[in-house]
Amino acid sequence: MIRSLRAFFLGRLFREKLLLCGLVLAAAAIWFSSLSARTGRFVRAERATGSTLREQGVWLANRATIESSAQVAASRLDPVRTLDTTRLLAEVSAMASDTGLKSTTSGDPKDLSSGQFSVHTLQFNATKVDWPTLKAFYLELGKRSPYIGIEQFSVQVDRANPALLSANFQISSVEISKN
Amino acid sequence: MCASPLDFLRSGPPPPRVAILPDSVFFSRAIAVEGAATRAEVVAQVTVALEALSPFPLAQLYYGYYWPEGSDRALAYASYRRRFTTDQLESWAGADLVIPAFATVLGLAPEPATTVVLASAGGLTALRWDRGAVPAMVLFQPLAPEAAEPERASARAALIKACGEARTLVDIAAPPAAQAQGSDSEFTFRAGDLTLRIPAATAAALDVRDKADLEALGRARRRDMLLWRVTMGAVAACLLMALGELALFGAGFWQSARRARVAAQKPTVTRIMEEKDLAERIDDLSTKRLLPLEMISLVSPDVALPKSPPAIQFLHASCSTAASLSTIQIEAQTNNAGEIAGYKTALEQTPGCERVEIRDQRTHDNVVTFTLVVTFKPGALAPASS
Repeated sequence: MIRSLRAFFLGRLFREKLLLCGLVLAAAAIWFSSLSARTGRFVRAERATGSTLREQGVWLANRATIESSAQVAASRLDPVRTLDTTRLLAEVSAMASDTGLKSTTSGDPKDLSSGQFSVHTLQFNATKVDWPTLKAFYLELGKRSPYIGIEQFSVQVDRANPALLSANFQISSVEISKN
Repeated sequence: MCASPLDFLRSGPPPPRVAILPDSVFFSRAIAVEGAATRAEVVAQVTVALEALSPFPLAQLYYGYYWPEGSDRALAYASYRRRFTTDQLESWAGADLVIPAFATVLGLAPEPATTVVLASAGGLTALRWDRGAVPAMVLFQPLAPEAAEPERASARAALIKACGEARTLVDIAAPPAAQAQGSDSEFTFRAGDLTLRIPAATAAALDVRDKADLEALGRARRRDMLLWRVTMGAVAACLLMALGELALFGAGFWQSARRARVAAQKPTVTRIMEEKDLAERIDDLSTKRLLPLEMISLVSPDVALPKSPPAIQFLHASCSTAASLSTIQIEAQTNNAGEIAGYKTALEQTPGCERVEIRDQRTHDNVVTFTLVVTFKPGALAPASS
């Protein structure tokens, strides 16, 4: 078959041979360019997928360990004393009121739950408060540890009255479902 | 070309274009050469012999020779160029080989003392081999095409007698026809059951065309072969790429299956990641406490330098469990820039402090503002009770 094709090719005029050769070369070059680009994209996608699969494999392999670590962490807490969102807001508001904080605001609580366990986070701001009152509120919060904890804290001097402070707390509580 | 491309491919390559010239216009002579002679030496000997034999200069002859490698004899033949018409010369264009009719049987390699009688349109040609592969003589007897059988037999007998005693006689009724080539290394001729093969290198020397034209033809053939090989290389690359396309197509299914696996596992993995995050936060809440006011108290100027507290005021303080449980960042200001170094030294000497950094010092209206970053040693902080 090749010899027939060769005889056909060699039997053409020189310009026809040149044209045939050029066409086949151009087709091969265009195809190669397209194929190499698609192969490159495929290899990158394959590597990314492989990496994701390996990462997922690690997480799945450690599933039992992670679940038991949550159980171990939760076992240090008394489920009865843990707080849901409503109780967290109520307790913090009560502490603020008891310690004399007047100008306070709180954000919308955020929840992170895995079914049995939940962590609730609350942004709490106190403005125009003096140091002793702020400290009293802080100490009250500390008494409810580890059921209530401070994850972030910032305080700054009030610009109008340097004797007063504005404080911002990110307060968290754990809830352990009783059922 | 055949009716369909498939038939064209099945039918195989066409036979080479061989222009067979009448023997009547050629004279020939066997020339002794040294057994160890090279082809260039043989060519020189052949040209010298032809120049000696012919009344015409070599430039006015179409000539060729038969010399199998290692043979001690060459058969040279030539013809005066003007014996060929312009039409005949034009018919040679594009031919693979232009040879006299008797040259088609030179590949016979017969037993010693063999005479071959070749019938052609213009007469009978007798080739006599006494030993070796090269004939000792070639004789031609012209014969009219309409000659009767007795006349032919008589001419044949005369030729055989002129050649001398022969142990073997081979009659070939017509000049052998060129056959499709099995390879580039030889030319094949067939006459009845007789198959004659002439190696390509030997056949090139048989060609009687002008040697400069043959050289140009050789260059064109080499150029065409280069184009053919480049084309075939490109076709082979295309075939490889077709395989690559198939592989890529198959790999696409495999990749789709892996992606589906990733998508199927994603909710589970996300839940596990959330559980881990949750476990860490529960653990942090139950075992680690952020003590911002205790840290502020420990680094306050009154505590660091109780005897002569510097006039440093804290403007802003922040800390978080995400950054570090034992690090606090404080923005402060003072009217006396010289106090900052002493304050830093005092903090560094405080037993609970692990590292003290002063950053971003700026001055405005004689007030220096700076950022103080203090990292406490593990266990150095205790929750305040009052």
